Amino acid sequence: MQPSLREDYLEAVQIFSEKNSRFPLTEELAAALLKPVPEVRSDMAELVSGGDVIVSLKGEITLTAQGKQTGTSVMKKHETLQCFLSEILGMDKTSASDEACTLEHTISDETIDRLGKLIVTREHHRHHGKRKHTKSGDRTCRVETGEFCQSPCISDFHEGEEVIIQCIHGRACAQRLLDLGLVPGERATIKRKLSNGALVVQVKGCDVAVSPEIASAIGVERSP
Amino acid sequence: MKIALLGNPGVGKSLIFNQLTGLGVEVNRYPGSSVELEYGNVCYKQEKTEIIDLPGIYSLDGNSEEETLVRTFLAIGGADVIVAVLDATKLERNLYLFVQAAEFSPKMIAVINMIDAAEREGLHIDAGILSSHLGVPVILAAASEGRNIDRILPVALGEATPARVHVPYDHHIEAALKSLEKTIKTPMHTNLLALQGTGDDPVLLDAAGAIAQEIEMRHRMSVGQIIATNRHNFAREITSLVITRTAQKKPYDLDSLLTRTFPGIPILCTILFLLLLSVFMIGSWMEGIIVEAFTNLIITPFTALALPPLWDQIGFSLLIALQAGFGIAFPFVFTFYIGLSLLEDTGYMTRAAFLADRAMHRIGLHGEAIIPMVIGFGCTVPAVMSLRLLKTRREQTIAAVLVTMIPCSARTVVIAGIVAAFVGIIWAFSIYLIVFVLLILTAVVLSRITPGEQFGMIVEMSTLRRPQANLVLAKSWLRIKEFLFIAMPVLIVTSILLGLCQYLGLTELFEQAVAPVTVTLLGLPGYASTALLFGIFRKELAFETLAVLAGTANLGSVMTSVQLYTFAIVSVLFVPCVSTIAVLYRQLGARIAIITSIYTVFLGLFIGAIINILMK
Repeated sequence: MQPSLREDYLEAVQIFSEKNSRFPLTEELAAALLKPVPEVRSDMAELVSGGDVIVSLKGEITLTAQGKQTGTSVMKKHETLQCFLSEILGMDKTSASDEACTLEHTISDETIDRLGKLIVTREHHRHHGKRKHTKSGDRTCRVETGEFCQSPCISDFHEGEEVIIQCIHGRACAQRLLDLGLVPGERATIKRKLSNGALVVQVKGCDVAVSPEIASAIGVERSP
Repeated sequence: MKIALLGNPGVGKSLIFNQLTGLGVEVNRYPGSSVELEYGNVCYKQEKTEIIDLPGIYSLDGNSEEETLVRTFLAIGGADVIVAVLDATKLERNLYLFVQAAEFSPKMIAVINMIDAAEREGLHIDAGILSSHLGVPVILAAASEGRNIDRILPVALGEATPARVHVPYDHHIEAALKSLEKTIKTPMHTNLLALQGTGDDPVLLDAAGAIAQEIEMRHRMSVGQIIATNRHNFAREITSLVITRTAQKKPYDLDSLLTRTFPGIPILCTILFLLLLSVFMIGSWMEGIIVEAFTNLIITPFTALALPPLWDQIGFSLLIALQAGFGIAFPFVFTFYIGLSLLEDTGYMTRAAFLADRAMHRIGLHGEAIIPMVIGFGCTVPAVMSLRLLKTRREQTIAAVLVTMIPCSARTVVIAGIVAAFVGIIWAFSIYLIVFVLLILTAVVLSRITPGEQFGMIVEMSTLRRPQANLVLAKSWLRIKEFLFIAMPVLIVTSILLGLCQYLGLTELFEQAVAPVTVTLLGLPGYASTALLFGIFRKELAFETLAVLAGTANLGSVMTSVQLYTFAIVSVLFVPCVSTIAVLYRQLGARIAIITSIYTVFLGLFIGAIINILMK
């Protein structure tokens, strides 16, 4: 079974049990997910063998501790995400999509973009099966976040030159650089450059020494 | 009451701590970590106040052991008052940590230290405006002159309040924080960390991770970068409101000499060589005096007592242990620690790291690894502990093996006491040469075979300063106290054990058992094996034991030069001492500790055998 499908089932069982203060029957779960009963039944068998749920003789689906943990976690995640999106829009979340139609003509591009996202996310909520697919797409974006910036790296500049930091590639070394003030938009002066590419960069009045491979992760533009 | 000092590395926290607490400082490991904290008690208005010096850090968001420790410390409210120490000359960068700490809303005060240096640079800081923006009392201080240090305690105990700083985060981040607070009901500082992937609540991390993805897609920038940028910009705004600059003539920049390949690297080599040479010279000279005084004043009178044999043996072993301990601790280790503290306090260490970066890359390490290596010349135990500043497992593994091979002061004692004294000083230096060649070979091989990633150096260059004698001495004293604390008990127990073994005739049995190795392979007298064995407890014991077993301090009369040389090189290379093995085990796990020990045993025996064969 796809991990995403498993998560969706567990979330649905958790939501149902919180709403009705009891666990759902197989038929009820199938109805909630708009899926045929036999498919849900066979999937449940798989979840039982995975130790996520226990199905009683009557067909009642009970979450195990492990299943409950995953279910709650996925539910909270979606709840928060939805809350976040409506926070950005500054609307309460039920009216967000309703009002969208009336606003369509006077709204800024950014809001449309955000609204689009909001609706897409809700779609995912309705058609659970498809959601994870796009999500895993998002995840690749995340890894590449640092690579969006195409600026030359600081090692291409010479001793004494002033630059403006654009981005920090890669995640491993980023945190310390950020903490030392090498953040996007910050001015920096190359105080020393050794022949192997090791640098002393002056930023916020402090000198920071970096190895050549770290220097190549700092994207900069020449300061005007 | 508990007061904790918080600040970036090198802001003068330790100096303030020393001035507040005076003597009677305790160094303790923080529960659940290998980070050591300094604790001190003061009495203020009849109330006992404990002062804690937290490790110097740049941020509360990172995952280094120090950062995690301080973060947990703040989260559980480990202190009643946080005294944030900031460097006046780097106020903007220092405020970054301040605003992070403020998010945990402890009671705080801000001490702007090094105001004297700022004045010399033409910076004027308005304490009143700064205080109104931060919402906490601000003290302008200069610890090096003792200026306003006396105000810290009264203000901290009387006027500290939670800071009123609110970083205006990007509106997406703000929305994320609000959503997490609403749905998961966690406080803001926890949520900020969770958005950057740090935390221990899986539900929160999951939810925060999902939001972080959304934000990163929109900004095309990691959440960490956005948050850091917001905080830095906020710090810049405050700084621009409180600092006025008057133009000053720039003083001569010593870095134009120190950080260039030339003359920087020759200067670096000279400094390190002088450090070792002076430890070697001053150490052997002082040791001679101490050992002689000890023998004449205590040991000879004791043997003259003619106690029953068992008690005589125990008493004698105890005295020998004390003699060995003081004979090494003060002459060698203390001299070395003074040199080391000088290098650190002047700010030269970071320049050394920068220059060493290229050479260290060749052996799979980076510049910062020079710091444990230099510390290793004093004592291997603190050197292994300082390996924490290397970030990856691979670097730590390589550096751990190298650090244990570096001749520490105890091994210097063996080299000086055996080779320099009876064979010749040139031969003594040849041992260093052999060890360094082996070190480099080991490093090259290790950098090829050790799995894992390499992580480069990112290090802030500390400001060059004139060191202060009292601080250098205080720091060295604290370190030597720690050394005595670790070394002395081991030394005394093992020395008495050895005495008992000798008394019971066990050493002879052992000598016979390993005779094939010592006598045939290494060409040493049988009793040398016991000396080598005891060298495992403390390296200098190898030397002391050899003298005891040989029955004379004049080793030249009972062993040939080749034997002495072989013995010295084997005991220098052979197994790190038990304290080192213990600390290796604690920091890096059993595997590394065992591999290192076995490797060095074979290396020692192998080189010893080669020398024996070649020179015989």
